[in-house]
Amino acid sequence: MEKLLEVKDLAVSFKTYFGEVEAVRGISFHVNKGETVALVGESGCGKSVTASSIMQLLPMPPAFYKRGQILFEGEDIVKKSEKEMQKIRGNKISMIFQDPMTSLNPTMRIGKQIVEGLIKHQKLSKKEAEEKAIEMLNLVSVPQPEKRIKQYPHEFSGGMRQRVMIALAMVSNPKLLIADEPTTALDVTVQAQILDLMKSIQEKLGTSIILITHDLGVVADMCDRVIVMYGGQLMEEGTVYEIFKEPRHPYTRKLLGSVPRLDMSRSETLHSIPGTPPDLYKPPKGCPFYDRCDEAMVICKEHMPEKEYHTNTHYSCCWLNHPMAAGVAEGSGE
Amino acid sequence: MVEPLISVRNVKKYFDVGGGKTLKAVDGISFDIYPGETFGLVGESGCGKSTAGRTIIRLYEPSGGEVIFNGKNIYELSHHDMQAIRRDFQMIFQDPYASLDPRMTVEDIIAEPLDLHKAYKNADERHDRVIELLKLVGLNEEHASRFPHEFSGGQRQRIGIARALALRPKFIVCDEPISALDVSIQAQVVNLLKELQEEMGLTYLFIAHDLSMVRYISDRVGVMYLGHMMELAKSEELYENPIHPYTQALLSAIPIPNPEVQRSRHRIILEGDVPSPIDPEDNCRFVERCPYATKICKEKEPDFVEVLEGHYVACHRAKEILDKKLTSTK
Repeated sequence: MEKLLEVKDLAVSFKTYFGEVEAVRGISFHVNKGETVALVGESGCGKSVTASSIMQLLPMPPAFYKRGQILFEGEDIVKKSEKEMQKIRGNKISMIFQDPMTSLNPTMRIGKQIVEGLIKHQKLSKKEAEEKAIEMLNLVSVPQPEKRIKQYPHEFSGGMRQRVMIALAMVSNPKLLIADEPTTALDVTVQAQILDLMKSIQEKLGTSIILITHDLGVVADMCDRVIVMYGGQLMEEGTVYEIFKEPRHPYTRKLLGSVPRLDMSRSETLHSIPGTPPDLYKPPKGCPFYDRCDEAMVICKEHMPEKEYHTNTHYSCCWLNHPMAAGVAEGSGE
Repeated sequence: MVEPLISVRNVKKYFDVGGGKTLKAVDGISFDIYPGETFGLVGESGCGKSTAGRTIIRLYEPSGGEVIFNGKNIYELSHHDMQAIRRDFQMIFQDPYASLDPRMTVEDIIAEPLDLHKAYKNADERHDRVIELLKLVGLNEEHASRFPHEFSGGQRQRIGIARALALRPKFIVCDEPISALDVSIQAQVVNLLKELQEEMGLTYLFIAHDLSMVRYISDRVGVMYLGHMMELAKSEELYENPIHPYTQALLSAIPIPNPEVQRSRHRIILEGDVPSPIDPEDNCRFVERCPYATKICKEKEPDFVEVLEGHYVACHRAKEILDKKLTSTK
């Protein structure tokens, strides 16, 4: 498998009046060609900041890259100038957002918004670009595209707008698509349509997708690999089957336990996670999940655990999985 | 036979949208809610579930129908009598940021219903009751003097719940109480609502679009589509044996957090979007997207009939679908 994107020890912070917020604190992962990787976590865990920093979309200042590299096709994005980024953004890497109403320009016809990128990046003539726009709207199943390209975003329903966003993102045939909660604002029946659409487009064009979501059902449906993020750090990574069947980090287990299953009896209690995520103004020295973890040990408070590999593709960062801790875990009589 | 706490009969809520057009948000729904139960109301955005919740407790003036509570039709009560009966009805809102006044302390927020109904003798009694309520929802005494912005989403929702419980209500409308919260916090709030129900014998109308959560919390569930009730049954029955084609599609669209199960499922993908609720025709509201639609569905509105014990469906072809299901399982 060829690596398309490789993030190495990335740390991103925000300078604020009250001090530095360490939103992303040294994460490493990669995305292969043609695969879908899920970035899962609760609000404030740093998943959207990670996505935006791959696109260099964060306002700088207050944001800044503290350390690390983002290698896209072997080149480091962190070092790119704004001018160089404009050649990558919307061309080789595209992004779709949660709320299509705020990410489309309300004063511009849909057609013009799609055509804009084509004329800029691919140097097509206006007529060629328009034909391509109609072809794209067809691909994302927007009915009557010839008529629709002359309409404004408010004339579309939520699901249709998200289709337009996907057409807009895919029109330049990007190598990487970053989808930040693409179906969270949609109803389940529309969500099912959009997820199917993303899958079929990926098959046709071979795009890699980073899917950011908190919906574990969507992850189970769409993704090849899953990365679990918490408090600005990676807690666990594995194939979708490894994560759902054999989660090794207590946080992953709790997260999976806190969603009701359709086969669950009503008398079962839902496993909630007490407390709230850590404050990233003063990030904890040790494991960020320490405060909420009921299996926490003394060492967890002081030292962040290293990656512990369970298979070639599956690792977790938890002291419980440290080879020396095996005795402790058994001894505590779970 | 247990008497229902609330009987909703043919309740309607129309909005005049100008130009002689009417938006029929809720168009004649009927059901009973029994004491101590949780009645779940599900449907996609714009189906009228929130409007239904608000119309039932008369936060919106109804356009028709009746709601019987304690033997009285609350839609016929005077403003003054309604005020008195409001003590028994409360509401928990979706957005824990918008539903708490940012300039009031938590103590004043929670005590506001007590102030309005003059439910205490002196300041000490008021304060004690607030502390008692805070403890009930898992917060503590120190929180009373703080302001809403000092709390996280989950904690704010707890404050909203404490306020709703202040007057010891019988019936609470929970309008998407957890959809703005993170997964791990959702479970905290749902577990709290369940505990409170057991302790205080509360009755809930639980409105949500998260179908797995509704199944988990509700005794009975009603499915709405464009202002109509499409199907109503006990929650296990509805999820295991959905009859209405819309319910079937809706349930099949929920992604299940288990990759093996999810990837081998058959999904019913509905074509198109929910049509506009402005001046709808008198036919089955689902007809345009329904894979089972026939001629009669376009001409006549189906009745809401009991096809199995306690299982109601509004579909012309319900009998056929049910028979087919029964023969295929044999």
